[in-house]
Amino acid sequence: MFFVMRAGHGDPALSALGDLATPEAIAAFHKRWGLDAPLVVQFWRWLSGALVGNFGVSMTIAGGVPIADLIASRLPNTMFIGLYALVIAVMISLLAGTVSALRHGRLIDSAATSMAVLGISMPDFWLSYVLVYALALGAGLFPSYGFISPADSLVAALYSGFLPALAVAAPMAAAFTRILRTALIETLYRDHVRVARSLGFTGAFIFVHYVLRNALIPYVTVIGLQVRYLLGGTVVVERIFGVPGIGALMVDAAFGRDYAVVQACALTFLVIVLIVNFLVDTLCNALNPRAA
Amino acid sequence: MSIKGKHVTRRDALKLTSGVMAAGFSMPWAAGRGLAQQAATLRAGIAGFNVINTLDPMKATLIPEFYVIYGAFNALLKFNSKMEVVPDLAESFTVANATTLEFKLRKGVKFQDGSDFSADDVKFTLDRVADEKNAAPNRSKVTAIQDIQIVDPYTIRIVTKAPFAPLLNYLTNTRTATQIVSRTAIKAHGDEAFGRRPVGTGPYIVKDWKSGESLELEAFPGAFSGAPKVARVMCPLIAEESSGMTAILGGQIDLTSTAPFADVPALEKRPEVKVLKQAGLNTRYIALNNRKGPFADINFRRAVSMAFDREVLVKAVLFGEGVAIPGVLPPALWADAKPAFGQYVTFNPERARAELAKSPHKAGTEATLLVWGSNWWRRMGEIVAGQANQVLGIKIKLEATDFSAAYSRMKAGEADAMVMGWLGFVDPDEYIGELAGSKGFRNIHGYANPKMDELLDRGRTEIDPAKRKQVYAEAERLLADDLPVLPCFCSNVHNLLRPNVKGFVQLPYSNFADQFGTVELG
Repeated sequence: MFFVMRAGHGDPALSALGDLATPEAIAAFHKRWGLDAPLVVQFWRWLSGALVGNFGVSMTIAGGVPIADLIASRLPNTMFIGLYALVIAVMISLLAGTVSALRHGRLIDSAATSMAVLGISMPDFWLSYVLVYALALGAGLFPSYGFISPADSLVAALYSGFLPALAVAAPMAAAFTRILRTALIETLYRDHVRVARSLGFTGAFIFVHYVLRNALIPYVTVIGLQVRYLLGGTVVVERIFGVPGIGALMVDAAFGRDYAVVQACALTFLVIVLIVNFLVDTLCNALNPRAA
Repeated sequence: MSIKGKHVTRRDALKLTSGVMAAGFSMPWAAGRGLAQQAATLRAGIAGFNVINTLDPMKATLIPEFYVIYGAFNALLKFNSKMEVVPDLAESFTVANATTLEFKLRKGVKFQDGSDFSADDVKFTLDRVADEKNAAPNRSKVTAIQDIQIVDPYTIRIVTKAPFAPLLNYLTNTRTATQIVSRTAIKAHGDEAFGRRPVGTGPYIVKDWKSGESLELEAFPGAFSGAPKVARVMCPLIAEESSGMTAILGGQIDLTSTAPFADVPALEKRPEVKVLKQAGLNTRYIALNNRKGPFADINFRRAVSMAFDREVLVKAVLFGEGVAIPGVLPPALWADAKPAFGQYVTFNPERARAELAKSPHKAGTEATLLVWGSNWWRRMGEIVAGQANQVLGIKIKLEATDFSAAYSRMKAGEADAMVMGWLGFVDPDEYIGELAGSKGFRNIHGYANPKMDELLDRGRTEIDPAKRKQVYAEAERLLADDLPVLPCFCSNVHNLLRPNVKGFVQLPYSNFADQFGTVELG
């Protein structure tokens, strides 16, 4: 990423100093931030800092502010919206997927399946504006812009973050519903479920212990896959709703040629994805009746 | 459901609940805005931008930086509501001769750190901008100054090497870098810290600045212009203009710095928001590579210029919020002589094809037009390229990139063309002088014409405004013949206000925080 970013056009000096920058100002900026050194030297400077957890300071989008501070203030907001969206998506999909599977082929199933297709097809920016116009400006139920960090007030964060979380959750809920429905229907007709029925277990007991538990394995795997995209997926929503998150930070940094900030954000994403992968694999193992 | 005989629908109940929630958990920039404090906080959204690099006037270049600087500082002079230059930190000024200006300064003015303002701060500010070591982006505005003489603590004399007509404009509180800084504060804290916590004489002190998120301003009761009526201003940095609009419609902010062109007609009909607009001081054009490629040929440039309709641009890009222009001077600028549209800047497909026939570059010629920024910039490129391709049979293709990359490529002579524009400048030399002068630093297109340079030099040294205006009219005619750039349009400036916001006076150079000191919340 270090070399790819530098291979592109654009100059951090222009981002920081703007279009009025004189050649002298640009040269002074390059010198100040070590951009006049060979690329290998610049890379070594960055790497030797990153290895000990020192990401340096922002040179354009937040001139002089330590990058660790920027990430520390932004990451909780993105994670909060991501988790909030995940909870909403899981709740909606558990309900819709289950109802759809148990009533498959009926009107409610068709309705749920159609909603899922709609949810997957909707661009996030469009859905965001629909939510703003319908629920914020129309019904007046939520703020149309702005977010209060959970660090300041958890309840306020839940309230101000509802629309952005819902915008992020909608396509996920649609994908989860479809996978859960398919997995449940497939499991419902498996031999071990028939055997359980013939043994006289109740429908609810069979559903929870023999159907849902098996169906949850592909469901959780898909959730894990989606979570990987969750961080990047919040970028547009963060900008529209004014959530100061890490996705928006990374995009701003990329446009501002704030190389070190982009690299630090990418590294943060990488670590989070690795952790999520580990957690998903662990959860899948725990859920698998054969492994349990 | 009913309350005391009144029928209450479920929607009413939901609204009531959300209202209670909203009161309890208002946005950070509205925090603490209870009933008792209702007039205590102005929420002024900076829309369309979320990057501010510095608040040091000497280093600032971006318009959102100046939005804030306008309110934290004063300059020797300022523009009044009629766009006349009037004293600000100066009490009065006299033109001693063609090269000498003398300023009597206000007495008893305090900086926000409590230190006294005097002629020493004025000299320090201007010397600092002029000092090559500081590499100030706006250094060219003060390089004509030869000497700054402190006559006494409240009298200062500025002597230029030759008559320099733009100087008065360059000493105003606009995008000039000449806002007066506190020498004491800079010496005490250093340039870096000053850029984040500036100290000026303006009505608002920068109290907090969260990069990429918001700024908090606190009223400076000792401001010489009088104590501000609003105790606190929160300025969220709202990246999307459309989000600024939804924020004000939703009541999350009271004022915006801009509005999306496409939504202005609809917003003007809404009672919950007031739209301020007027012709702006800005210019939008297509920058062309005059050094190499097809646009290095004058006939090709003229052919493309006649192959697109500027009125269509105004309708489709600005939704009528602006005017087509035949040159690069905005009609709102006093120096614009409102020249007629010359033949090369008038849409005429027949003539365009005839002009192309004179060029070595015929139908089928390929070129790339770089587009960047908001949707309307892209739409501008699409329409120009689409119409020119259709009329001339050439192949201009669009390449979407970001501003920094487009600017670098254009400056290096590696790109054929890019959509381009400037805003907020107050002197004609900042527009045509920097754009068309062979040494102008906004001349990224590589245009050089000795006749133009001679005209621009005359424009800088001609003190009589009427004669100066004639010089620029001539320069505009030459520009419309040579077409180093393709002039397109000038857009209106907009502010959105909640009806309770009183006292904000909009000026055409995209002012903002300079008005906060007189704003009241009803």
